[in-house]
Amino acid sequence: MGFVIEVISAMLLVIGSVAVLVSGIGIIRMPDVFTRLHAVGITDTVGAAAVLLGLLLRYGWDPVMIKILFLLALLLVLNPSASHALGRAAVHGARRPWLSDGDQG
Amino acid sequence: MLIIVVIALLMAMALALLRAIRGPTVYDRILAANVFSTKTILMITTFGFFVGRPELYIDIAIMYGLIGFIGTVAVLKVSEFGNLGQSGPQSGGQ
Amino acid sequence: MIAEIINVVLLGLLVITAVAAIRLHDLFAVVMVFGIYSFLAATVFVVLDAVDVAFTEAAVGAGISTILMLATISLVGRWERRPAHRPFLPILVVVVTGGALVYGTLDMPNFGEQSTPVHEHIAPYYLEQSKSDIGIPNVVTSVLASYRGYDTLGELTVIFTAGIGVLGILGIRRRREEKNSEG
Repeated sequence: MGFVIEVISAMLLVIGSVAVLVSGIGIIRMPDVFTRLHAVGITDTVGAAAVLLGLLLRYGWDPVMIKILFLLALLLVLNPSASHALGRAAVHGARRPWLSDGDQG
Repeated sequence: MLIIVVIALLMAMALALLRAIRGPTVYDRILAANVFSTKTILMITTFGFFVGRPELYIDIAIMYGLIGFIGTVAVLKVSEFGNLGQSGPQSGGQ
Repeated sequence: MIAEIINVVLLGLLVITAVAAIRLHDLFAVVMVFGIYSFLAATVFVVLDAVDVAFTEAAVGAGISTILMLATISLVGRWERRPAHRPFLPILVVVVTGGALVYGTLDMPNFGEQSTPVHEHIAPYYLEQSKSDIGIPNVVTSVLASYRGYDTLGELTVIFTAGIGVLGILGIRRRREEKNSEG
């Protein structure tokens, strides 16, 4: 039983690492802000969830688990909100002269 | 096992930093700072497990999540409305 | 060993971030780079096991100072002007000062050493006597609020004055705008 949990935890950690790396490459390679938001979403959801769940399984039953779940819930609520606000601000900003002089590369 | 996560996070941090430096529009930089805060949170949590005292480090990670969100929203408000004082696009005189 | 490698990588990223903040002329971008800088610095503090400093760095560096710098940018405009003078004299001053500081670190005791003046002179007195002197269980609180009470009072005065100054500067424009919209 312990071995199975260990293997699942390792798999989740590897999945999280790969997701974070893919997201980092995507942030570099994607052509503009709105496509880069997709890459950010990978870190914010899959990467964070996989890494935190992998760590949680590794630690076993403890009050620390509740803190990790709280942190995960926080990330899953706050980060998509921030991404949404960023996309909305970018849509508005494209029409506003305050940001458009030399900024829209 | 944890060291793989730490290495991946460090490499992704370097990539996000590159985007923050190069990023042509201001939104690219905000996006890079936002994803950097997420990576910092994951890094601190992983490092807490790495040194064997996760309960202390998770508190910091939770606080970073809250502060990063507040910072991102404040930055977006400035970039959209021009300053921090207005409550919405209608109330401004722009 | 692994913590040292992580530390070196993080410090390298810090150097890159600082150089980028100097090279950029868009102040909004500089604020974002500073946000990243403070996240990196806080990670360095966590890796160095200075958790309380990391708390402060997160709250001050990533939280309040980003917002204050943004408010300043909304007052002074977004683009940095070209400096009118040559940078050679400032660079000389900075290099000499930095060299003196690095030379000063050579005399510092090794990291984590037990037999330093800090650990032998007055810290044991605080740890042993604070219960009978002050009568509260938390040593940090008794040091901050009683043994170094005047020091803390001075710090609070400085912070209070700085807060009033910031509020005054940032509040001027809003009040003027309100007056303009009324009249």
